[in-house]
Amino acid sequence: MLARVAHLLPLELKTLLERLPEPMQEQLEEIRIREGRPLEIGFRGQSRFMMNDGSLRQAADGAYKPSADTCRKLLERITNYSLYAMEEELKRGFITVSGGHRIGLAGRTILDGGSVRGIRDIGAFNIRVAREVIGASAHLMPKLIDRTRKTLHSTLILAPPQQGKTTLVRDIARSVSYGLWPTIEASGWQGRKVGIVDERSEIAACVRGIPTFDVGPRTDVMDACPKAEGMMMLVRSMSPEVLIIDEIGRPEDGEAIREASHAGISVVATAHAYDLRDARGRPVLLKLLEEGAFTYVVELKRTEQGVMHRVVPAEAISDSPASRETSAAPRSLPSAVHAWMGRRRADDP
Amino acid sequence: MIKLIGAALILFAGTIIGFQQAARFADRPRQLRQLAHALQRLETEIGYGHTPLPEALERTASATPEPLAAIFRRAAAGVWETESFSFRDSWEQAIKQQWDMTAMKKNEQSVLIRLGSTLGISDKEDQLKHIHLALLQLKSEEDAAREDQGRYEKMWKSLGLLIAVLVVILMV
Repeated sequence: MLARVAHLLPLELKTLLERLPEPMQEQLEEIRIREGRPLEIGFRGQSRFMMNDGSLRQAADGAYKPSADTCRKLLERITNYSLYAMEEELKRGFITVSGGHRIGLAGRTILDGGSVRGIRDIGAFNIRVAREVIGASAHLMPKLIDRTRKTLHSTLILAPPQQGKTTLVRDIARSVSYGLWPTIEASGWQGRKVGIVDERSEIAACVRGIPTFDVGPRTDVMDACPKAEGMMMLVRSMSPEVLIIDEIGRPEDGEAIREASHAGISVVATAHAYDLRDARGRPVLLKLLEEGAFTYVVELKRTEQGVMHRVVPAEAISDSPASRETSAAPRSLPSAVHAWMGRRRADDP
Repeated sequence: MIKLIGAALILFAGTIIGFQQAARFADRPRQLRQLAHALQRLETEIGYGHTPLPEALERTASATPEPLAAIFRRAAAGVWETESFSFRDSWEQAIKQQWDMTAMKKNEQSVLIRLGSTLGISDKEDQLKHIHLALLQLKSEEDAAREDQGRYEKMWKSLGLLIAVLVVILMV
């Protein structure tokens, strides 16, 4: 995976990281670069500091510290020497580069009338390597199939960051679009028209409007578009049958999802939340769940062995008297919840 | 006979040297003007087009006459060709390599190099301010260059011939 982001790195960083053993390079997930502070890398959900000789330690002393010059070169390379052309990205705090890799930035912000206008004096970078895992949704898809409408049920996928939500929805989009339904009963079904609203350019990783990841032949992508507006635009213009959205959470997102599901479109959305209980603490998600906008809720957890998922029918949540109490754990409703565990090795190709 | 040919050669050479010197004085304000136009073009690309810097430089190069165009072209190419370069390094190297081909002097070189250390690494407003500053500095250099042109261009044109005549007289 290092090879995919190597072109972004200044020479000195690249040479250092290339000293990592081959399998480690393959599993690289994050590179955290902080000016004058130890270089940290993340792989398989763990993180280590990197020493000058390329070895990895848990303790930070003696680690390689990127200089101001290195950080400047890195910033130039990730912005294509044009920070001025990245105002929107700086406002959001990250840059998506070709290949779908997302680079988070931190530094001193510039305020304009109380709201953030950008970041200057950028001192920390977090390069997240995007990975396309074909078949990531194979275990999950059979659970989400709507047999009467021959499509997917509306689904909300919950997980904390770094658990593979985006990888999963990308693979769902691809499978639905190609018509690769992973069960025998669905084998004759056609592919569905898929619309993706890709606000962070992470799902499809579009470069000039053309997806660089394989998201299927019947997929339309609204790139770098605010989710709520993008959903409505796609519904009006491209008549999707399945809508895919990443990281919902604002009130207007909820509004748009409601509209789309009234139009008979299956919505597959992800949200940042540790689990269902956590999600119900967020008003927008709680409201959508209570209204029955989603048929299923999926929780993702990544463990040492792989990605586990747990599918919960959403009616079980909204029908229960405990649903209005955000403190009630969904696990307290064992009769209504039918859980299913799937397993996939994290380092599957 | 040979003396005559030699004298003619000296006269010819002296005239050419004089004209060349005069041409340098005439070229400098012209090139400064072209440079200012090029920077204005770059300003537009950055301010309105939000064009990425390497592409903006390429476009500027294509609208600028040689030898100035080569500076912009090389600065854009340098960052891709040499991996260890930051933009500042690439820009500085392009200017230094190409400078002898131009009629411009140290002052404007340092203005350009200073501009290069800010290009691409700040927001739009900041970029435009830096380009504006460079343009102002170039303008004052251009005025000085015009004054020099008026003063020395004609002088050199005749001076070359006159020195050659003097050498011939001394030799005879």
